[in-house]
Amino acid sequence: MASSIIWYLREFVRGEWISRFFTVKTPPLITPPHFRGFPILTGKECTHCLACMMICPTPNAIEVLRTGDVWNPVIYPGHCVRCGMCVEACPEDVLSTGVILETQKAEHTSYTATFHLTIDPVLCKRCGNCAVACPVNKEIDPYLGGTGTAFSDEVIMRISDGEMRVIHPEKCTGCKTCEKTCPNHAIRVARVVEGLQEAGE
Amino acid sequence: MKKIVDVSLPIGPVHPVFKEPCRIKCVTNGEYVTSAELELGYVKKGIERIMVGRPWQEVMFLAERVCGICSVIHNYVCIEGMERINDIPVPDRAEYLRVVLNELDRIQSHLLANYSYCYTIEHETLAMYLLNLRETAMDALELITGARVTCSYIIPGGVRFDLTPEKENTLRGMLDHIDSELTRFVHMFKGGSMIALRSKDVGMFTREEAIESHSVGPTARASNLDNDCRLFHPIYKKLEFKSILLDDGDNYSRIMLRFLEIFQSTKLIRSCLAQMEPGIIRGGGIIGEGTSKWSGEAPRGELTYEISTDEFGRVKKISIRTPSIMNIEACVHYMLKGVDSAADVTSTYISSDPCIACNER
Amino acid sequence: MKAVQDLKNAVRSRSIHVCYVNVGSCNGCDIEILACLAPRYDIEQYGIYVHNNPREADILLITGGFSPQWEDKLKMVWDKIPEPKAAIAIGNCPISGCVFNREGTYLDPPVSKHIPISAEVPGCPPRPTEILAAVLSLAPVIFKDYERKDE
Repeated sequence: MASSIIWYLREFVRGEWISRFFTVKTPPLITPPHFRGFPILTGKECTHCLACMMICPTPNAIEVLRTGDVWNPVIYPGHCVRCGMCVEACPEDVLSTGVILETQKAEHTSYTATFHLTIDPVLCKRCGNCAVACPVNKEIDPYLGGTGTAFSDEVIMRISDGEMRVIHPEKCTGCKTCEKTCPNHAIRVARVVEGLQEAGE
Repeated sequence: MKKIVDVSLPIGPVHPVFKEPCRIKCVTNGEYVTSAELELGYVKKGIERIMVGRPWQEVMFLAERVCGICSVIHNYVCIEGMERINDIPVPDRAEYLRVVLNELDRIQSHLLANYSYCYTIEHETLAMYLLNLRETAMDALELITGARVTCSYIIPGGVRFDLTPEKENTLRGMLDHIDSELTRFVHMFKGGSMIALRSKDVGMFTREEAIESHSVGPTARASNLDNDCRLFHPIYKKLEFKSILLDDGDNYSRIMLRFLEIFQSTKLIRSCLAQMEPGIIRGGGIIGEGTSKWSGEAPRGELTYEISTDEFGRVKKISIRTPSIMNIEACVHYMLKGVDSAADVTSTYISSDPCIACNER
Repeated sequence: MKAVQDLKNAVRSRSIHVCYVNVGSCNGCDIEILACLAPRYDIEQYGIYVHNNPREADILLITGGFSPQWEDKLKMVWDKIPEPKAAIAIGNCPISGCVFNREGTYLDPPVSKHIPISAEVPGCPPRPTEILAAVLSLAPVIFKDYERKDE
């Protein structure tokens, strides 16, 4: 009886026991290297092609912004779902997350994206907002009229003869600025993405 | 004078056993449940409406977020359905990798379901063992795809990443670990007399009731009703898949069936790894205009996507039928009826593995 | 009095009761919170106890992007939590609505419109370690010298 009480007392006043009771037992857990975190910049030069923004499945998660003279993608945590599609889509390896970049190099995988413009003639009210808002149009013809009329034949779309006509759909970069400015949802940009792999070795 | 009053017993929407909000209203006589009713609508997001007008690279992520527990199967069925529109060929290796990922997802989902059940019947030791084992399955998912829950792995014409030989070896080790540990836990579950007391002959669900309520998945298979979608899938046919059936239809057999399916899944993954040959994992292919309907076996039962797209592969119309809606209704209308105590109401409800997020989308 | 206050602070930062409520998430974040219970992460060794009872909770974990059904109910749950209390938004949904914040959705993010949010854990879903780190780093700040804050 007495011996068991002493045993218990000794058991409870052990320093090791007390320290184990009050401190954390599990070692700090490390995140494995193959986990896809928020994409980080690798330091390579961004060419401002916006491929990352075009493939991003989440609204407002990634933006390509200019600081000083350099363009760089900016990731917004709280919007980004950490899918890693921007890393795979970027042709210049500007972004990196987990082991996606190395895997992609080893397996020669890529995405190609093509963009298509469709205008619903019933909904379109020929305001010309899309032609004015389009950043590609603005670069080609800085003197683009406020009503969407242009003298240049090189623009993606313009109003001519009272109709909104798409002249060079292949120049579209898929930024969807026209879609956002359209008051009637008449113009739609389709981003057609294809996952490809070169047959290696 | 003693008077017996019919009591309405509401459970939820915030309740310790519920992973997700829903409300069960039981009409009880004392504690004996005479009938029950389910109230849904707490997590409606309108995913199908958001999906309209979007191409695959956005629909895929939305489909994955229909349900966080079985995200892989939603991705799988959605993309396979879209591939059927244009008959996009998929390389053999990619097909096998998809099955590997799907079965890993099934393992973790079943372990989570059994964890919830053990936790609900207050067998916390076994519950924690199962939850810790689930981490191994999550590690395997993370190893292949790079994410734990929303993997976003399957794309039209293939998969995103290959399985290198080193990763394959690690995966085999993980499968062995799951098998050996789970054998022990199943033994614990079978041998536990208190578990049997809480589970056997509770929440009875006969074959006739299963047919009547159109229940699917493990809930139906535990009542000897075979409607496994994997039987009709071309790759599972190559793997000579046969579904497991039990015929008791009580809580015990539903949990037991999930344990057996985990063993079956590890076996399927092993035969996938054995049959897989090196090759490309992406074949390309663009989705065009058309309509298709495709079903797959989610951890909870049959999942159907009906998709119609326009000329550039954008979704025009989509309708999703998820398994839980049938199972929850079956649980509430047939299993809960005749349950003896309020404690058994929650455990019976959890044993049907409900997923509210799937139901409401 | 300072010694008593120090003792209170020490005890409070090692006894955190957590309640989680799903206001329209996809389950992904919920199961990651659940995974924190697993012996691998072992949330209880830090003195954090997860139960779904708002009346005994200190910290409310919110997942999901606020569906209309919760308009009155979330406020009720929040009011039931005794002071001192804090709410943590888990995942992208309560912060921004994630992929659901688009035309045609029923959700009404962010949750901070409805109840005060003390911390946000981004990610879709965040890893269990990230959730754990957020709860652990928030708790001492919120509960420190709670009595004196009223003065």
